Amino acid sequence: MAGATETRLISRDTSGVDAIAAVTIGLSALLFALSLAALFEIITISDPVAGIPIVTLLGGILVLLGGVVIGFGIGSYVGVVETQPSSSAGLVASATFSLVWFALGGIMAQVIGVGGITWLPIALIIGGAAFAVTAVLREDIGSTLPAGAVTLFIGVVYLTGTIGPAWIWELSWEQQASLTAEFVIPVGTLFCALLTGWAAAKTYGGFGARGRRMGAYLLIYLNASSIVGVLFILIAFTTLKGVPGLFTGATVGLGVGPTVFGVTLPISLPFVMNGASLFNEFQGVLPAIVGTIWLVIGAVLFAVPLGVGAAVFLTEYAERGRFTQVVEVATNGLWSTPSIVFGLFGFAFLVPRFGGNKSLISGMLTLGFMLLPLVLITSREAILAVPDEYRDASAALGVSKWQTIRSVVVPAALPGVVTGVILGVGRIAGETAPILLTMTGGTFVPGGQTADVIGGFQFTATPPFVANPELLQATTALPFQLYALITAGVGLGDTVSSPEQFQWATAFVLLFIVLSFYAVGIGARYYFRRKLQHE
Amino acid sequence: MIGTQVVAARNALTHRWQRLSSFVGDQEPLAVATVGIMTIALVSALVGFLLVSPFTIIPFGIFLIAASYGWLNYQGLTARMLTLSMTVSTILILLLITLFIFMKSVPVIQYESQSVLGVSVPGLRMFTQVQWDAVSPPIRYSMVPMIHGTVMVTTIATVVAAPLGVSAALFLSEIAPTTVRELVKPGVEILAGIPSIVYGFIGFTILSPWAADQFQITGQGSYLFVGIVVGLMALPTVVSVAEDALNSVPESMKSGSLAMGTTDWQTMTSITLPAAFSGVSAAVLLGVGRAIGETMAATVMLRGVPQLTKPLYNAFYGQATLTSLIANNYGEADGLQMDALFAAGVILFITVIVISIGSQYIEWQMQRKLGGES
Repeated sequence: MAGATETRLISRDTSGVDAIAAVTIGLSALLFALSLAALFEIITISDPVAGIPIVTLLGGILVLLGGVVIGFGIGSYVGVVETQPSSSAGLVASATFSLVWFALGGIMAQVIGVGGITWLPIALIIGGAAFAVTAVLREDIGSTLPAGAVTLFIGVVYLTGTIGPAWIWELSWEQQASLTAEFVIPVGTLFCALLTGWAAAKTYGGFGARGRRMGAYLLIYLNASSIVGVLFILIAFTTLKGVPGLFTGATVGLGVGPTVFGVTLPISLPFVMNGASLFNEFQGVLPAIVGTIWLVIGAVLFAVPLGVGAAVFLTEYAERGRFTQVVEVATNGLWSTPSIVFGLFGFAFLVPRFGGNKSLISGMLTLGFMLLPLVLITSREAILAVPDEYRDASAALGVSKWQTIRSVVVPAALPGVVTGVILGVGRIAGETAPILLTMTGGTFVPGGQTADVIGGFQFTATPPFVANPELLQATTALPFQLYALITAGVGLGDTVSSPEQFQWATAFVLLFIVLSFYAVGIGARYYFRRKLQHE
Repeated sequence: MIGTQVVAARNALTHRWQRLSSFVGDQEPLAVATVGIMTIALVSALVGFLLVSPFTIIPFGIFLIAASYGWLNYQGLTARMLTLSMTVSTILILLLITLFIFMKSVPVIQYESQSVLGVSVPGLRMFTQVQWDAVSPPIRYSMVPMIHGTVMVTTIATVVAAPLGVSAALFLSEIAPTTVRELVKPGVEILAGIPSIVYGFIGFTILSPWAADQFQITGQGSYLFVGIVVGLMALPTVVSVAEDALNSVPESMKSGSLAMGTTDWQTMTSITLPAAFSGVSAAVLLGVGRAIGETMAATVMLRGVPQLTKPLYNAFYGQATLTSLIANNYGEADGLQMDALFAAGVILFITVIVISIGSQYIEWQMQRKLGGES
């Protein structure tokens, strides 16, 4: 890691300008949050806040920010503000600003209503001018003036009411679509907030190399935190929406639950303990959960020995050459193959070989094919990470190669392999597309049809001598159940009291199961790594 | 020229054969026989399975018996043979996928033949007209609308995933303090773990109605928002592969730059990113591959009507992609229509394999360039 610059060698005193720049960044952040809230209709743009309409408020802040940013640039240029600007803002900034102004010019020309393609030269001229300003002039002007001007312009447009809450731009396309104020105003504000935030961060760093670092870091940190934010929102939202459906009809008390292995559970959760039936008070998705579990078990039983064995051969026995290269290409090819293509393959290859119907075992093997490259890649990495000293030490004891592999290499690589398998399982447990064509039956599956693979084995007198009708039956799984619930749509009304709750609860249970695999996998990796470091 | 190549190839072959026979000569004859039986039994079991024979179980049983006998008596050799056959199986599976989806799509490719200058080109009509109609004559299976949809979705997804992904990778590999990285990295992984149907469900219930309202479009489903969701799903791939590429830039190069008195951002833009450029572009390519193959979110959020949008660049309407076509129509399709779905699968498969091989090639180039250290 490049940690050498963590101490600031050159440190200026915090001046008034720095403080104003910091406030500008803060204001941009506030504006960013406000526009996001408006975009997702948490606040309505037509509502007034403290007597001022929100559009006017946004416009006012934009004008203020734009003015301040331009002020920074001019102040630095005339020498009022102490900075170390470079001679130019650089190609990336120039390209960005010319694009922004090109788009703005084009839209203005279209809205004003120049005919034909007259908008193109207008947009080109404006974009070119922005490029010239950014690229030719000194950095302090080049990176503030175009940004400030955009913000100022859009702010004035909002302030004057040219774009008000009722504004609409109908795109005269054959398939009708319009840009409404509810979309344009927040997005425009969002965009300007990014620009002014970036420009103010550059000012805060005093332009030059440090200024650029500041501006770039602002955007990169914003990006990283929004990715985490999106993840958090997705999970929190699904949980909030799904929990009520999950606990529909839930009771806690001695002896209310179903009996598992002779023990009566003290809790009854119909959603995950019932199948679907006309006589049920509460419908549930038990068959889907059991189906998913069997799918995962089948896929793991198929793919893990194959993948780990292949990884052992590739790392320990095979010499690097044409053969290993082909295997590598094939593995990566399998990894990138779309899941629906696996489904098609299972439909064409497996289904006719297992009785001609969709069946549990076809689904297991299809998912196994998908899991194989994941297991192979991660196991190979884990085995490669085992230090050669281990192998040498074992060989020096006069132990044969296979015994070295069995008792030294594989145990040492086991944590990595296990982690890889768990993460891979998390991935395939949520897959819908491959099992769509190979395994799945109806939307609502009665509890009686819950797959019972172990009890299903039979021996027959004719080849292939072993039969298991449970494996050869179509069944359901959680991802498919969710898909079926979405496509079935309104028709659910008859069987479930609240279809929407039922859908969200299914989504939540699926997400919960998949993310538990991930949590276990990531936790295991973390644990093993710490253990390794302590040794 | 060719002659020398043939001679070289023959030499390599004889060399290999000599090594193999000397290896076999070193082993006990009984061990060799066991492994031989295992190989023959496994191959015949495979052939039996391919031919849908009920007797597949017999050679497979022989294989199992031979394998357990070998395992008890000649563990090393048996293990070697078993792991080799497991390795071969990965290639075999890819070959079988190729073979089967191609075979299934042959009828529709023949049906959609079109003659150019008197020569009949199979499958050409799938790309020269835009009509998909499986019910009323003339029955036509054009792939153009779906290719258009896939291109639209993939483009938008790439615009979302590439810059955000590369910037997040920079953050993780170069900028973030250790504790922050330990938090963000699993977060990105979990983002990859959220099932696509859950993304699709949220998109279908929340995003699609919202978009229909905002843009005042008729009905639901737009390439724009499918693209954004798919971009979010392709993001983790871009991040993790790009991060590996950035990490593989030797530390000495970065330190050398920092020692010149640059800021770490300057080091990133002028040393690390250029050095890792090919790896980063491979990451973006792999992300594109993921986006092309994404099925469920597209299926649930799009309209599922195989048509072009009007005008072509109208991203506010979403009809169908190659993947959603398959997932939408597999139920009622049979005969030629099912074969047409396989043709869509073939197009997907070829595209994705080309992308996969291309990105591997780029990565090899990069490893060669950075040389020796990895």
